[in-house]
Amino acid sequence: MIKSIIFCLLLVPTLSKAQTDWVKWDAVEVSYKISNASSKNIITQKQNTGSGIISFLRNIYGFFISELDGDNCPFYPSCSHFFVQAISESGMIKGPLMFADRFIRDLNFFKGKNSYPIHRIGKFYDPVSNYTLNEQMIEIALSGNGGD
Amino acid sequence: MPMFITYGDILCQDSLKELDLFSYKSRLKFGNHLYLEKDYLRASYEFREYLKYEDNDTIRFKFANCFYNIGRYLEAADNFKSIFYNSTIQDESRLAYYKSLFFSGDFNLFRNSSRNEIYLPEKYLSEVNRLYFTSFLMDNSVLPDTANFISAFPDSNKNDIRNFYIQKKFPQYKSPTTAALLSSVIPGLGKIYVGNITDGLTSFLVTGVLTFLAIDNFNHKHSFRGWLFTGLGAFFYAGNIYGSAAAAQIFNAGVKFNFDNNVKLYFEKRNYFLPENNL
Repeated sequence: MIKSIIFCLLLVPTLSKAQTDWVKWDAVEVSYKISNASSKNIITQKQNTGSGIISFLRNIYGFFISELDGDNCPFYPSCSHFFVQAISESGMIKGPLMFADRFIRDLNFFKGKNSYPIHRIGKFYDPVSNYTLNEQMIEIALSGNGGD
Repeated sequence: MPMFITYGDILCQDSLKELDLFSYKSRLKFGNHLYLEKDYLRASYEFREYLKYEDNDTIRFKFANCFYNIGRYLEAADNFKSIFYNSTIQDESRLAYYKSLFFSGDFNLFRNSSRNEIYLPEKYLSEVNRLYFTSFLMDNSVLPDTANFISAFPDSNKNDIRNFYIQKKFPQYKSPTTAALLSSVIPGLGKIYVGNITDGLTSFLVTGVLTFLAIDNFNHKHSFRGWLFTGLGAFFYAGNIYGSAAAAQIFNAGVKFNFDNNVKLYFEKRNYFLPENNL
């Protein structure tokens, strides 16, 4: 009698936890779907004047040019991201002016390594915060102060 | 199990009972050990327990110095105050009090206290005086008279201090307004004024080429292209004026950063002209 009780006690958990033939390895389905949370569309996160237009322009540029052309901008953040960030942080008047200035600096063939600090990804670090005309926000790196 | 207890273990247990690890004398020994190991936070706990039972100026000083060494300067200053009177190390503790206020970064509080003269250490008046003048190089207060300022420091360092004083009083800043005005007269000139010569030349070329294209297209009756290049030219012209002002601000921030860094390194290398703390 005792033997059969012990046998039953052992049998119940064994059967309940045992691996079945039809769920062999309890495999988990891995999703390879790219997450929707993309940092590309920054403008839509911060709503301000004209954000829809800028977001649309930036997405057009990203789809037709940037995706095909590759990561060629020597700056970090890249010029297109700089444009988006500048408008989202400084508005529709200062933002484009900041971008125009950045674009000219990007055209400069002689922007040597001494002019900008080098970001860890190997590009010139040139954050938007340095161009808001707010002295408190300027980030200075040890490698230089922006002069040629 | 009892077979594994050796005679040595029994002896050790007895000696531990006699030792009483949590007595105030044991705490002092352990605190001193931690202090020498530079484990200042834990040392402060042990010294605090010791001071509940026995008063000792040296331990009070070490207790306060623990806070000083871990950067809790205002707590350190408060604790140094407790050794200001009737002690053989009162001058040292008064100097340490001023050091704590100085390194707390609240230079106004430090200067007010050091001009108060109540707690000034007779033995270290010149040291506190030097800290007083050094503090003016580290914040944006109005600099005192040159002669008094420089005379506080040793002769061998007077030239360096004079240079720091001049740099602080007349910083080589560039005016953002001037940079913007120069760029509005000739595109790129503001950038050249700030020192970004190649950026300035690029600005000049870009706006120049766009202006030429605009005029040329208007001359050839291509009004759409003319207006397109006019718009682009105006866009980059305005961006360049803005960028020149921003570049001047970045230049100024760099000058300030380099000055602050140089002053800090110079004084740190010389331990702020302070005597070594032997305790």
